[in-house]
Amino acid sequence: MLEDDSGVTKKRTLPLSSLSVSFRSHEMGEVELSCLAYAKMYLHASQFPRCSVNGLLLSSSPAGGAVCITDCVPLLHTHLSLAPITQLALTQVDAWCSQTHQRIMGYYQANACVSDSSPTPCALKIAEKIFEQCNNAVLLMIDGEKMFPGCRVPPIVMYERKDARWALKDKHTIMLRQWEETCSIVNQLFSSGDQALLVDFDSHLDDITKDWTNQKLNAKIMELVSPANGNV
Amino acid sequence: MSSISELYDVCWEEMRDKLRKWREENYRNSEQIVDVGEELINEHASKLGDDVWIIYEQVMIAALDCSRDDLAWSCLQELKRQFPDSHRVKRLAGMRLEALERYEDANKLYDSILQDDPTNTAARKRKISILQAQGKSSEAIRELNEYLEQFVGDQEAWHELSELYINEHDYAKAAFCLEELMMTNPHNHLYCEQYAEVKYTQGGLENLELARKYFAQALKLNNRNMRALFGLYMSASHIAASPKVSAKVKKDNVKYAAWATSQISRAYQMAGRGKKENKCSVKAVEEMLESMQITMS
Repeated sequence: MLEDDSGVTKKRTLPLSSLSVSFRSHEMGEVELSCLAYAKMYLHASQFPRCSVNGLLLSSSPAGGAVCITDCVPLLHTHLSLAPITQLALTQVDAWCSQTHQRIMGYYQANACVSDSSPTPCALKIAEKIFEQCNNAVLLMIDGEKMFPGCRVPPIVMYERKDARWALKDKHTIMLRQWEETCSIVNQLFSSGDQALLVDFDSHLDDITKDWTNQKLNAKIMELVSPANGNV
Repeated sequence: MSSISELYDVCWEEMRDKLRKWREENYRNSEQIVDVGEELINEHASKLGDDVWIIYEQVMIAALDCSRDDLAWSCLQELKRQFPDSHRVKRLAGMRLEALERYEDANKLYDSILQDDPTNTAARKRKISILQAQGKSSEAIRELNEYLEQFVGDQEAWHELSELYINEHDYAKAAFCLEELMMTNPHNHLYCEQYAEVKYTQGGLENLELARKYFAQALKLNNRNMRALFGLYMSASHIAASPKVSAKVKKDNVKYAAWATSQISRAYQMAGRGKKENKCSVKAVEEMLESMQITMS
């Protein structure tokens, strides 16, 4: 719930904040999160504030190189732990990935109960499945408590596979380039109303004319991303 | 900023009717309700007659959903003034406390309602909601079970309990709740389909066959339920691919899966017509169906 002094409704937006990300860490283990992926995850969580939501993290960079989450596919906002639709979604996203030279390299989830952003058994299970195919898979939990105006840190917690379990990733190895710009883009999406364009797999099943690959929204976001910044 | 009536070129009667529709069909489009309701209350309250009170209630609840405590408070004041001793209004006051996360105060309010009137279901349900908000799922489940022993016909409660069990991965109990719902609502395709999903998740040949049957039943009740169609396809495919089934069972399920495939393809072709933006999702489905055909044969 977002409240400020004036009692005016605040949508979940982020301020322009300069987060300095430490670049120093061994090369291995660095994970970069693109503006596109971040924006869509954020929008997904904002679209269903009373539900747990989840989705898949994708990468278009070659396996073995630097790990970069270049896109995401929002999946569900109902019955995250039931098997059929999750299996269906994984299969379809897989098919789409092979057509578009991407691979599934992670999973994100935002819990309905904002005070608890720890991975649920369902999250661990799906992340485990992804890890079977991708050995630098990541599990990303969105921290709902940090999704308020004025918060200076990205509302995310990342886990990686270490010693047969999912361990908290050192936040200095998580790169969000152009953080200020990313926040600004998310703000712009909310003020223009374009955040309503986001379609997740659940919504697609309710109306199959809706596009879960979000081509339209992707185009809008890429338009807002300044061309000078390259790899975003 | 222009008003709703200007933006959408509607008169106050249409706004009032929209609110009624949303109320009757239990929509939770709180931001819209706040936009429309606030304007209706501020500009046209005098024309609403006795409807105004139920609109205050509806707008208040929506306002809580949108963190509009200012609006919620003013609605509550109007209702308190008009209905000073009402339990119904007291419950709304409790909901406001919940929204402010003042759970102890809210509970006290609900307990005082229940002291006066032990059969007040609304207050009991709010207390259970507080447990859920605090993440106390096992207690919420326990309380909800006790509630249902007394109020065995409360559909909303049965459904809420099934959701709680699903979250806790207690699929057997979730299935039991959905069975109750299917018995009392035999024409509701959503309950059939959810039941099938739970059975599928439980796994094993018997559960898969049950899942397939209930996906099929859901489709009979609503042939546009895509989850049921995909569910039928997947459960039939898995049964057909199982080494434990007889040749006849395998043959039957291959047939069911093939039927489902054709229905899915048809649905996506119709959806894809003239809309190039969902080309990608259409292609993904085609590829998926192709690849699963190969594994089945």
